[in-house]
Amino acid sequence: MTWLGNVGTHLLACVAACALALPAMAAEPGVTDNEIVIGMFAPLSGPLIAYGIQPVNAARMIYDDVNAHGGIAGRRVRVVVEDDKCTGSSLVAAIKKLVTIDHVFLLHGGSCTAALAAAREFVTREHVPLVMLNAAGDSLVFPPQREFFGSFQSTQRVYGAALAEFAAGPLKAKRVAVIVHDDDYGKSNLASVTATTERLGGKVVAVERIPPSITDVTAPLLNIRAARPDVIISGAYPAPAVLIAQKYAEYRMTATPLLQSTQGIPTPSVFAKNVGDDTALVNFYHTWAFNDIAEPAVHDRWYGMYRAAHPEDPDPGGFMVTGIPSALAIVATLRRLGCDVTRDGFVAAMDGLDLQTDLMAAPLRFGPDRHDALRGVRVVRFDGRTQTVQPGVYSWNGQDGN
Amino acid sequence: MLMLKLLQAAASGVVTGCIYAMIALSVVIIYKATEIVNFAGGELVMVGAWLGLLLVGYFGLPRPVMLLAVPVVLFVLGAAFDRLALGRIARRRPSRRLEHATLVVATIGLSNLLKGAVRGIPYTQEVRRLPPLIGGAPIFVGDVVLERQDLAIVALAAVVMLALWAFFRYTLPGKALRATSQNARAAALVGIPVAGMRMSVWGLAASLSGLAGVMLAPKLLLTPDMGDVVTLAFAAAIIGGFTSLPGCVVGGAILGIMQNLVGTFIAPQAIAVTPFFVIMLVLLLRPQGLFGDTVGVRRV
Amino acid sequence: MLLSPLLAWVVPEYLLYIGNVLMMDAMLALGLDVLLGWSGQFAFAHIAFFGIGIYGTALLDMRAGVPFLLGMPLSALLAAAIGFVIALAAIRLRDVYLALATFAFALSMQWLIRTWDSLTGGPDGLRIAAPALFGIVVGTDRRAFVPMAMLLASMLAAMLHLTRSVLGRSLAAIRDSEHAAAASGIDVRRSKIAAFTISAFCAGVAGGSYTLFGSFIHPDDLGIWQLVQVLTMIVVGGSGSIGGVLLGVGLIGVLPELLRLAPAQWLVWQELAYGLILMLTVMFLPLGLRSVLRRNLRTTVPPRTRRGTPTMEHTAP
Repeated sequence: MTWLGNVGTHLLACVAACALALPAMAAEPGVTDNEIVIGMFAPLSGPLIAYGIQPVNAARMIYDDVNAHGGIAGRRVRVVVEDDKCTGSSLVAAIKKLVTIDHVFLLHGGSCTAALAAAREFVTREHVPLVMLNAAGDSLVFPPQREFFGSFQSTQRVYGAALAEFAAGPLKAKRVAVIVHDDDYGKSNLASVTATTERLGGKVVAVERIPPSITDVTAPLLNIRAARPDVIISGAYPAPAVLIAQKYAEYRMTATPLLQSTQGIPTPSVFAKNVGDDTALVNFYHTWAFNDIAEPAVHDRWYGMYRAAHPEDPDPGGFMVTGIPSALAIVATLRRLGCDVTRDGFVAAMDGLDLQTDLMAAPLRFGPDRHDALRGVRVVRFDGRTQTVQPGVYSWNGQDGN
Repeated sequence: MLMLKLLQAAASGVVTGCIYAMIALSVVIIYKATEIVNFAGGELVMVGAWLGLLLVGYFGLPRPVMLLAVPVVLFVLGAAFDRLALGRIARRRPSRRLEHATLVVATIGLSNLLKGAVRGIPYTQEVRRLPPLIGGAPIFVGDVVLERQDLAIVALAAVVMLALWAFFRYTLPGKALRATSQNARAAALVGIPVAGMRMSVWGLAASLSGLAGVMLAPKLLLTPDMGDVVTLAFAAAIIGGFTSLPGCVVGGAILGIMQNLVGTFIAPQAIAVTPFFVIMLVLLLRPQGLFGDTVGVRRV
Repeated sequence: MLLSPLLAWVVPEYLLYIGNVLMMDAMLALGLDVLLGWSGQFAFAHIAFFGIGIYGTALLDMRAGVPFLLGMPLSALLAAAIGFVIALAAIRLRDVYLALATFAFALSMQWLIRTWDSLTGGPDGLRIAAPALFGIVVGTDRRAFVPMAMLLASMLAAMLHLTRSVLGRSLAAIRDSEHAAAASGIDVRRSKIAAFTISAFCAGVAGGSYTLFGSFIHPDDLGIWQLVQVLTMIVVGGSGSIGGVLLGVGLIGVLPELLRLAPAQWLVWQELAYGLILMLTVMFLPLGLRSVLRRNLRTTVPPRTRRGTPTMEHTAP
């Protein structure tokens, strides 16, 4: 474990220092001299469990690993997990329980931005640091809120900007068609595609906002075909993304590249199987926030670690790794705090986070005016069988569509 | 160009409409026989589709076996639901007026139960697809593209509709069912086993849903929530009059075309709300729909 | 009720939040039961009226500066007015069509809230500014607890009064037999429309009360699933009785919180459990858990309504 560093050598010294400092420390909720309590919450029931169950397991794997290697400054990490169902009311109940009953030190969770937004007033009032598990979190990090840290797989702004930049750069596209959902993710994605495209001298020639429950994508694709774009950028979710790729092939539009944001293609092999026709994917690209496609060794290491930690779940899907970066960021920040663990100190240390991991395409970085961790993603060409990572990391400049 | 757009939108709309129609047929035959709106209609489709994927994808059974097995399993499921739940409620109902609401609540319960059962299986966390029964290159009529599996869906919807129509019209069990739905007491007096009839209608409707699930899964994709499409089936059935079998197919086609036209010429954002507006408008202006009967008139 | 001011200061905020949610659910369920349990009609529009209550109260306060004490009743009246119009149109329809028409209405309302960005915040949701009562800003669970208790108490009082009123008795008669009620001179149409309107008003009040402690609302919170939960409360507790509804709200409302004590890997079966609870209750306890309690308290109580006539009749038109 490279990121663990040579903790062991510093451990003794630190424990000794903590023992001396103890009497002076004010009692911080969830911190004792031998443990730190972290309150986790994610959808463990309901329609969105795919974003919750495995990511929570992956994050716990990180904490268990930390404990197995002696903890953080002599303290073990204890995790309390609650179900938030990805609904506002359930999420608020979960965090109120974690904060006022379990007295956790910090909150780590949330897979759905809209549900998280319901917790904003309470978290701000109680000054509890909240590190998002795998929500994009656009509405909570733009503008940044003191207690909220998130966007570890980047935001919709980043996906949109990366694809628009890729379209204008290597693909030399001038006319861009956009297809997004009529929800908050769609709004952010569309805004950054539009701004980036216009900044680079291109033009958005068609905008199709479709409901996530759509059963027939004929209408949006006919509209797009009529607009004669050079590329199509899609921010659709998994099921509509498959329908779009199928219809696009059916209407013989495959000469126009189809660029899909990550959320529509959680596991590329499953996506290809769902589309069912590799001729639909001759000109297909998607964003990817992780390095596991570019470097098989990275994939094997993290998936191997997961299988070892959770033998009951031997075949994790593509969402599993989304639970890892936020946990790594928390662990790194707690290590920097050493033995003096306070909520204010944690927020301040988090503001200085600059963490390079082998897993993510770009460094995880925060600052006083930046609480979205990841701003660079890769673009991958996928023909249904092989993934070809395109050169370079595509980054959002922090302004387009903001 | 505009003409081509219109034709393509219409052609695709008819296909999607036939998907709605298949589900609507199952909802309508239950309604005709028992006056219950089956809010679990979509979940029966969902279970049929996942079961088909399980049999073909996991157990590796050949397609024809799966096509036979899914309707059989679903028949048992539907009949058991009627026997165990609805029959019991009907026997010990607290009052006549409350009963309708109670039966609807039971179907809502079934809907959650089935959805929850499928969701408990980790494999269903990702979107899946059942490969189409019929593949091959699409057919071009002028510039309009038609997929082979789409044509199969339209043909199947028409065949199922005709078969059901003939069943209700010409066969003895079908006539008995009609009699039961028109006047259960009179039907019982002439020796029709009313409870058994109801049970077989539920079985028939469920197996029809299962078959629909297997046929439609390549177009709709498999998720535990795919049953939400039942809303569109309700809209199709209401356009058709809610008691008419041909009405389902015509209603489905109208709805499918309308959604595509709204998406093409107004905004794709309005596609989702189209069926709801259609339901409200039809019920406001012409509650009997296109082919529905007014109360007390002969059905089918 | 007298203890509530005291409770509000010593109890952890989590429990107060659950308490506030339960009180809001109780108002929502009592309103739905006027329709379902009293007049035997089944309608899905309730969740839309709830949404009108929330968005109405919040937007009147935030955009027009209308204080809660005026904005909440106004929003509830708006919900009632829309309910009245729907009832006028839908009352002539048969039960099945009423259910379907209101199903469509609830979903189109949700779509409208999601799509009308400039007014409602659309898919980003709406942050609700904390309302003020007599110059005191509420907005937290602790401060909202007593006003919530008072709102619920007034609604309970109104409901009790309603059950004893002419309208309440007419509705009970209609539920048992529409023909008999009409024959004995009850204006069936007018009573049903009144029930629908009152029910919508209650949902509007429940929605308005949410703004006292809720700081955010999203169109996703106003779906059919949320209505099914309220429905489960009524059916499990016992429809057609205030005590039964309150019992159901308590049990079903607390259930997800109790499940937090269960191992995390069980939680995925929650939806199945809800379906099972709903089905088993209508199968074995058609009058809800209330009937069990009552049976145990007074074994000689006569059945509330006459026994059903033979099975086959219920399919007759």
